[in-house]
Amino acid sequence: MKVMVVGLDCAAPALMFDKLKDHLPNITKMTENGIYGKLRSTDPPITIPAWMVMATGRSPGEIGLYGFRSRVGNSYTQIKIPSSKDIKFDTVWDILGKRNNRSIVVAVPPTYPPKPLPGLMISDFMTPDKDKEFTYPPGLKNEILRDFPDYQFDVKFRKPEKEKIINEIYQMSDTRFKLVEKLLKEKPWDFFFMVEIGIDRLHHAFWRYIDEDHHLYEKNDMMRNKFISYFEMVDHHIGKMIEMMDDDTVMMIVSDHGAKGMKGAFAINQWLIKEGYLKLKNEKVSPGSSLDEIDVDWANTKAWAWGGYYARIFLNIKGRESQGLIDPSKVKEEISVLKEKLKNIKGPNGEEWKTIVFEPEEKYDVVNGDRSDLFVYLDDLNWRAAGTLGYETDYLLENDTGPDDAVHDYDGIYIIYRKNKRIGKKIDSSIYRVAPTILELYNVRKRYGIKGEPMEGIEYVK
Amino acid sequence: MAEDKKYTTVSIPTPLFEKIQQKIKDTGFTSVSDYVTFVLREILAHSNDNEAFSEEDEKKVKERLKSLGYLD
Repeated sequence: MKVMVVGLDCAAPALMFDKLKDHLPNITKMTENGIYGKLRSTDPPITIPAWMVMATGRSPGEIGLYGFRSRVGNSYTQIKIPSSKDIKFDTVWDILGKRNNRSIVVAVPPTYPPKPLPGLMISDFMTPDKDKEFTYPPGLKNEILRDFPDYQFDVKFRKPEKEKIINEIYQMSDTRFKLVEKLLKEKPWDFFFMVEIGIDRLHHAFWRYIDEDHHLYEKNDMMRNKFISYFEMVDHHIGKMIEMMDDDTVMMIVSDHGAKGMKGAFAINQWLIKEGYLKLKNEKVSPGSSLDEIDVDWANTKAWAWGGYYARIFLNIKGRESQGLIDPSKVKEEISVLKEKLKNIKGPNGEEWKTIVFEPEEKYDVVNGDRSDLFVYLDDLNWRAAGTLGYETDYLLENDTGPDDAVHDYDGIYIIYRKNKRIGKKIDSSIYRVAPTILELYNVRKRYGIKGEPMEGIEYVK
Repeated sequence: MAEDKKYTTVSIPTPLFEKIQQKIKDTGFTSVSDYVTFVLREILAHSNDNEAFSEEDEKKVKERLKSLGYLD
């Protein structure tokens, strides 16, 4: 048995299984004959840590990564970007490698710098640039750049030249799929795992053209058609990969989280100032400034926040932070008061929000690495958090760092498909079941003792 | 000689050994061991054993993540 995992970052159930169905003949064939459903993402539902949760079966708490940055020590402003070196647990390709299975791993975040494995690895979109060693073995890089000189790790989508961006995303993904198809044909492999980031970029930059309910909805047939033709291209490549499969190969399509329309960005640090938690030495702040660019009165600050698709709030605790203010004996009380205040934040027109606030210990059995004191999903993730400040209002209808249409949703997708098997079941599942499912298909799950159960219905595939 | 102790033995499959033997015929490599040592050194030289990102790389990636909306 061989398994191919095709990761489509941000692929959303409503689009893949319903709205775009008629444009996706291969994916639809897979759902009709395989097992498919929603795939509940991690908390937080973000690319990092979600893909590594999928690859290791471990929680974000165990892995110790909660997003695209970690705090260095207990510093106020120093941050660190996650890399492959932060992943201390075996991934499925590590486990299979120890059993002499060769893997091809392409663009799974974070896999830069690439670690040795029996097989091939190309690192992800957090690779600094093409000058770096982004492959294992190192020689593979020259082969890629010879055959695919336009190979791209990522695109920048938050700029106004919309037509140019959508063409760039299309080119990037199309090239990556062509490269992958070449590797699958020419290199020996027993396991394959790729992630295509293009769908996420497409959703963020172009959601307004396909979601009639979006507050920025724009009727534009050309952009809508380009959006759809991107998905047709993805489906075409999946069809090509299916052609390469024999009866003993299983293909899994998975996404790390879903997407929904972004309602706006909430300037969380401005709110913390108004509530008396955050103090600045100089009240005059130019719009869009971040905390590390302005003079914060740390000694009189109780809490500050990081923005992104969710907000992370840190308390300034005596003995932990260098200018800590809150006495450790008062932390519990402060947290419960702040939680209530956050949950009571209302929308720009006084409407009720369904804000979710939790401490990491409430979600994870183990909490490693740098953890913020609170995790905040503003209005159930419909509003993103802007960490920057200096705005006239706390409610920014556009994002603070350039145009963006979409936020993340809790449910991604999965499909398991084996050629010549007629299953046709819809069963919703969880991201924690992906790694156990892969190992179960290789019959090594129990021997390795990985946590978690394989997906329901896997017996129909085996 | 003390220098001899600086070497140790690793096992490789015989067919691979033979393949290498063929490959280095009429080349500057005098033994399979020389060739294998050279290749392994080359691969290790390319691997990054220190920090994942240099200061400059980290700055580059941070800026990119900012422009992607992950760091606000």
